[in-house]
Amino acid sequence: MRELHAIQLTVNGVRHERSVEARLLLSDFLRQELELTGTHVGCEHGVCGACTVLVDGEAVRSCLMFAVQADGSEITTVEGLADGGAVPDLHPLQAAFRDAHALQCGFCTPGVLLTLIPFLEQNPDPDEQTIREALSGNLCRCTGYQSMVEAVRALAEGVGR
Amino acid sequence: MSAAHFGAAVSRNEDARLLTGQALFVDDVQLEGMLHAAFLRSDYAHARITNLDVSAAQESEGVVAVYTAADLGEYWQPGPLLVPPQPIERLEFHCATQVPLAKDKVRHVGEPIAVVVARSRYEAEDALPLIRVELEPLPAVANPVAALEPDAPRIHEQFESNLAAHAIQEKGDYASIVDQAALVVRRHLDHDRGASAPMENRGVVASWDRKCGELTVWDTTQAPIPIRNGLARMLGLPETQVRVIAPFIGGGFGPKIMMFYPEEVLLPWVTMQLGQPVKWIEDRQESFFATTQERSQVHDAELAVDAEGRILGVRDVFVYDAGAYNPYGLTLPINTQCTLLGPYEVPNYYTEFRAAFTNKPIVSPIRGAGRQPGVFVMERLLDIAARELGIDVMEIRRRNFLPPDAFPHDHGIIYQDSASLVYDSGNYLPALERAAEMIDYHRFLDETQPALRAEGRHVGIGIVSYVEGTGIGPYEGARVSIEPSGRVNLATGVGTQGQGHFTSFAQIAADQLGVEVADVEVVTGDTGKFHWGTGTFASRGAVVAGNACHAAAVALREKILEQAAQELEAATADLELVAGTARVKEAPERSIAFGELAVRANPLRGGVKPGTEPGLEATAYFGPEKGSTASGVHAMIVEVDPETAMVDVQRYVVVHDCGKVINPTIVRGQIIGGVAHGIGNCFYEQLVFDENAQLQNASFMDYLIPTATDVPPVDTDHIETPSPFNPLGIKGAGEAGAIPTNPLFAQAVENALQVPGLEVLEMPLSPNRLFELLCAAREAD
Amino acid sequence: MEIQSEFVFNGSRDDLWANLLDPTVLAKALPGTKLELVEEDRYEGQMEATVGPVTAARFDVTIELVDKVAPESFTMRVDGKGAAGFTKGTALVQLAEQGPTETLMKYTADLQVGGRIAGVGQRLLDSVANSMSRQGLEAINRHLQGEAPAEAAAPLQLLSRPVLAAIAVVIIVAVLLVVLL
Repeated sequence: MRELHAIQLTVNGVRHERSVEARLLLSDFLRQELELTGTHVGCEHGVCGACTVLVDGEAVRSCLMFAVQADGSEITTVEGLADGGAVPDLHPLQAAFRDAHALQCGFCTPGVLLTLIPFLEQNPDPDEQTIREALSGNLCRCTGYQSMVEAVRALAEGVGR
Repeated sequence: MSAAHFGAAVSRNEDARLLTGQALFVDDVQLEGMLHAAFLRSDYAHARITNLDVSAAQESEGVVAVYTAADLGEYWQPGPLLVPPQPIERLEFHCATQVPLAKDKVRHVGEPIAVVVARSRYEAEDALPLIRVELEPLPAVANPVAALEPDAPRIHEQFESNLAAHAIQEKGDYASIVDQAALVVRRHLDHDRGASAPMENRGVVASWDRKCGELTVWDTTQAPIPIRNGLARMLGLPETQVRVIAPFIGGGFGPKIMMFYPEEVLLPWVTMQLGQPVKWIEDRQESFFATTQERSQVHDAELAVDAEGRILGVRDVFVYDAGAYNPYGLTLPINTQCTLLGPYEVPNYYTEFRAAFTNKPIVSPIRGAGRQPGVFVMERLLDIAARELGIDVMEIRRRNFLPPDAFPHDHGIIYQDSASLVYDSGNYLPALERAAEMIDYHRFLDETQPALRAEGRHVGIGIVSYVEGTGIGPYEGARVSIEPSGRVNLATGVGTQGQGHFTSFAQIAADQLGVEVADVEVVTGDTGKFHWGTGTFASRGAVVAGNACHAAAVALREKILEQAAQELEAATADLELVAGTARVKEAPERSIAFGELAVRANPLRGGVKPGTEPGLEATAYFGPEKGSTASGVHAMIVEVDPETAMVDVQRYVVVHDCGKVINPTIVRGQIIGGVAHGIGNCFYEQLVFDENAQLQNASFMDYLIPTATDVPPVDTDHIETPSPFNPLGIKGAGEAGAIPTNPLFAQAVENALQVPGLEVLEMPLSPNRLFELLCAAREAD
Repeated sequence: MEIQSEFVFNGSRDDLWANLLDPTVLAKALPGTKLELVEEDRYEGQMEATVGPVTAARFDVTIELVDKVAPESFTMRVDGKGAAGFTKGTALVQLAEQGPTETLMKYTADLQVGGRIAGVGQRLLDSVANSMSRQGLEAINRHLQGEAPAEAAAPLQLLSRPVLAAIAVVIIVAVLLVVLL
């Protein structure tokens, strides 16, 4: 049996304490230990961005981080964006994505949302090029990205008003 | 009928679940006592297995079992031939399909040799290096042309050579007209491989319930019903005791179709051996070897035209790389043969191909499915003929389009569905003119380009046409039902991978039933809910399943009207269905809710009339006799840096005709996504194999799929030429965006550089390769 | 893949020749390596490497020396197999005197790399081959000068996924072997 390490962390406002192997990836911890399967794993080498979560407010690829490294931190996953996770309570960015058809298969979407949330906090009214650059670390095979750009623009225009 | 949902840009029913992380993907399935599988795969492209010892791996911590081919007994069988050879005269076809685990020999890198089952994926992977496998390397062949040489290493010993197939199709008599041609353009064209690269890798979870004798399989397949039927047969189980669920699938693009991949065949067997659920999720690196790939073909083609550029005939001879096994038969090279004809009148056509086994991963359709190389050949030859004759590239296409009164148009050669290639309908010129207008084609050439050129900038334009055979049979089905609660359920057999089926099928049903789109709960891809049909491929979901949904909804509407007429004591003609109720048009207060009708349609006591079918439910099927032919025109503007050969795609225009559009937002999304895929295929994405058939770029760090900064804004417009071959007039739209990008890119790059002698005759075209071509052209000049 | 480079040692050619063929010296330059001289000019052994929290990609290697012309040149045949792939090939090593205490080593390796290391290693191979072979050669150079050999390969954190990290190690070790020996 491998050595286990006690960690405690807060995910979507809920505090968790677990003992884990040092090698357990944060993505696997969230998905398997906490059953928060909205965080998706697409490449396991930090390129595709599908597994992006917020660690202490910053967008982080959870496949490039071990769970033990997240000890003591505060994490937000896609399950933590909408109040109660119910349809009418979508986060404004989620609603903008739905309205602009900015997702198709939806596999990359959680990582895209969590990349954009801190980006939009720092850039509340980004232009198209800036949005594309912000998205350039997230791969999507379905949409061609255009509708994601449109969703962010629509949200920014709505918020700006 | 109430307000039309068909044709409306409604937002999608499935989005809330996907956006909040609630949608179930295969990797999200977690079951009590679930084990995890990892595969030992070959490092060699071609080798004999001389020794295999798993004993140390079996002792590894957490390992429950390790299986090799020897453990499978009778279950070890080559996979099925998925598409039987099409009825082409004098066809030669040799079939060799993949096996669950390699027995004596491996034929491509990544071919599975053993499977480890452990308590966790980590522990399963820990045990892989403990398997002692001795492989005696054999000479490998990567190039399909080299594979057909007489002294090439033989990949399948049962055949005399690596020839997998040889077929000739002809219309007219090309040989008799070639002498009359004012111009014959002859070129060698090369098209290389790419990966489909959906963001979700493949995966299987299998769970055997011994007490109920029931097997449940969650599978990232595009075709759960054929998988269920095949697994039942292989495992000796009744079909009714096997349930295959394709839940939300993170993109498919072809390779997730009913391949009977080794993992797909093994996991159900493993769960039955161990009595515990077992999961395997492909990792990204595995996907570069273990998931099918596509598009390597080498063409020697010629186009004969008269002095005005009218096509007299085409002759094309090509070699098609089938990879190590060919379970998909001849679908791809036949699609190439057929799609090459494009929207053009081609009176004489000779097309011949040889399919070659190579020591590379298996080839099966990827978005476009053999059409790209065909379109590339035809469009490039037209561009070259136009240049030689001094005709504009738009003009040569205009002169050769089939006219609107030419339909249905029978080309007289065999298509992938084994029937004659017939175009149902089309109107090509308006699309060309509209695309030219949107991108301002003539002004660009007359004013913009010269002005930019004067500034030293190399900006070019391209415009190309294509058709796509879509919506082929055999059939799909759907069941629409209303529960006593008033909920409307719709179930169909096709799987869904992001195309918006939960919404477009709901739109079709909602119109018939007078309910809102959001009120129709759609289930796809679960054989427990609907078990007749084939799957999602060939841009057929909306056409075939869509029309089945329509037929079922129409039947249910009739049933509702008849029952309501009895209950309300009115004639059916006087009734309307509004907001989940049936009511008398002239006296809307006389109404009955669907839920109440459903209760009365399923009485618990008393007698019913003979022949009564219970419940508010209707099932219907649709099978088109022939597919429908979508078409379109793409145009782009690129800027090329002549020093670095970097290409910047600045504008992209698509005018697309997919007949009647169910949901314009969804169709636009499909088109733009396809364009992004196409741009990847022509510029960034190439699977590079060395001479030993070792893949050199098996990660997203080295195999580059386009990012948000690589894809230009795309403007789309639609032309609507309904298909006469299905009641809703729909044509498919899923693959179209990716099909004509390669020749378009080539034409635009040449137009930007205007270097005499520079011809782009190969795809993909990396900046490196373009730089080499540029240097060669400049030297020759 | 082909690797070509050169390196100048601070030592006489004869000393260098002796050291290059001494498996214990090589093992010092390649931490985690166990090489045994199983017969004349034939070494067999195993390498294990640890990267960060990841233990060990194991790699079985056989090295044969042929066409030995002491102290000028030799050719090596290398055959390595491990969980992450294989490497196979030959390397020609030539030593030229540049004075009594300086020797120029030129090496040319032609390597076939297969399996997963080929798939993910291509971009790393060149730069890793260069930087790591230099570190290894410098370790031998220090040994030649009578210093204790420093650790040749600093732990690398190239890729986080355990398997990928292990692969990177194997690439490094494979390249080192070929260019060093």
